[in-house]
Amino acid sequence: MSCVAVKEYEKININDPDMRLSERDLDKYKSTFQSYREAAAGANGGKTGGGCGCN
Amino acid sequence: MKKNIAFYSIVLLLVSGHIMAQEEEPTEYKKRVLEAVEVNLLSSYYTQDGENAAVTGGRGTEELTDIAPSINISIPLNDDDVLTVDATVSAYTSASSSNIDPFDGPQPADPFVASSGASEQDTWFGLTANYAHSSDDRNTIISGNVSFANEYDYSSIGFGGSITKLFNEKNTELQLNVNAYFDSWRPQYPIEFREGFNLSDYSFSGNPNFSSNYTEFQDESRNSYSIGVSLSQILSKSIQTAFIGDVVLQNGLLSTPHQRVYFGDFEDTMVENFTLGNDIERLPDTRTKIALGNRTNFYLNQNFILRTYYRFYTDDWGIDSHTFKAELPIKLGLNYTFYPMYRYYTQTAANDFGEYNTIVSTQEFYTSDYDLAEYDAHQYGIGFKYYDPLNKLNIGGFGLKSIDLKYNYYERTTQNFNANITSLSFNFVAN
Repeated sequence: MSCVAVKEYEKININDPDMRLSERDLDKYKSTFQSYREAAAGANGGKTGGGCGCN
Repeated sequence: MKKNIAFYSIVLLLVSGHIMAQEEEPTEYKKRVLEAVEVNLLSSYYTQDGENAAVTGGRGTEELTDIAPSINISIPLNDDDVLTVDATVSAYTSASSSNIDPFDGPQPADPFVASSGASEQDTWFGLTANYAHSSDDRNTIISGNVSFANEYDYSSIGFGGSITKLFNEKNTELQLNVNAYFDSWRPQYPIEFREGFNLSDYSFSGNPNFSSNYTEFQDESRNSYSIGVSLSQILSKSIQTAFIGDVVLQNGLLSTPHQRVYFGDFEDTMVENFTLGNDIERLPDTRTKIALGNRTNFYLNQNFILRTYYRFYTDDWGIDSHTFKAELPIKLGLNYTFYPMYRYYTQTAANDFGEYNTIVSTQEFYTSDYDLAEYDAHQYGIGFKYYDPLNKLNIGGFGLKSIDLKYNYYERTTQNFNANITSLSFNFVAN
């Protein structure tokens, strides 16, 4: 396995919606309750502490 | 003479041909960043229960129900620019919040029973607008955002921006983002600390000389500043990974003003079944957080994808945590995906955390918020997605692109706390 320049026409698997390197839109609710109920935050595209009276 | 005419004719022909070639040079095709307006309708139903409510000093019901509808609209302004607006309303009822004033209902005051007064429910509203501009070659994306949120005792205004660069035939993506939130509390202190509370108005037991260390917070502002970096890399035709890092600095009122604390060295005063608090939570007015994460997704075959996530977190309140998540989308044909998920979370306790009635009054900082205690948590999820790339089902000029339904169950093994969340979304694309 190595870093190769995959051509655009070879990215059919990479471009699958489930391969996206971010949380699903629906997971924003999960991330929100986790930021309220857990001490940790950040590195997941969700709240990092501002915008709410959360942890 | 004839040779000169021929020579100059040839030169003139070449020059005019070059000029015509420049004027007629075809422009390169530029795909729109977003082809059409997209609308995402989301909603969630959340319930939780536990027995370590922070409002009652770490002992009491944590029962809570929340309904949160949300709408997200992405609008292509032109070939290069996209405006996204997100609005969310969250309406909740909370047994623990109701016990900010446990005496405002007809039932006897009890930390394990919700009071039916005004503090039992609240509504949070949030609005975010994001503008993103992509360069002609689509290798640079610059964005800015502004956000606003409000609930009964809290307001927030936030600003942020990011720059994203793609390299290596778009196999590598580097993003830098910054955000700042300027928030403020409107503290709702526990009833026994408010002016006008008179112990003699109640039938009580225990220490008749009810006293506390309580003083109001002078600074009610709460500011958060974050800077984040992410590096994404396509490793092969079937694997891609991203490394994400965030550093967050917070200052101001970082305690929660309505969360009680009980001192082990103070004699209790009880009214009905409720022990009056000795103070409210006092936490440091600064906090520095560092989070480092990795996502790696594997396209195993046309039916299975594996999505993984890991995060390490640490802060200067003494909390370290690890998060691990794995999700396995299983494709059932072109349109349907079924995806089970598991998440494990563990954290150490904050330095200033103390269990119910164990804190000593001489401490500078203290909290009995069990969200800041040491615990492990397991989360199990199941999701189902219907995806139609042709958007065949048309409703009011919008084609239905996908429907997503998900259920999660969350529990803490070292505390009697559990939560359920069910989420549903409909994604539409303008025709």
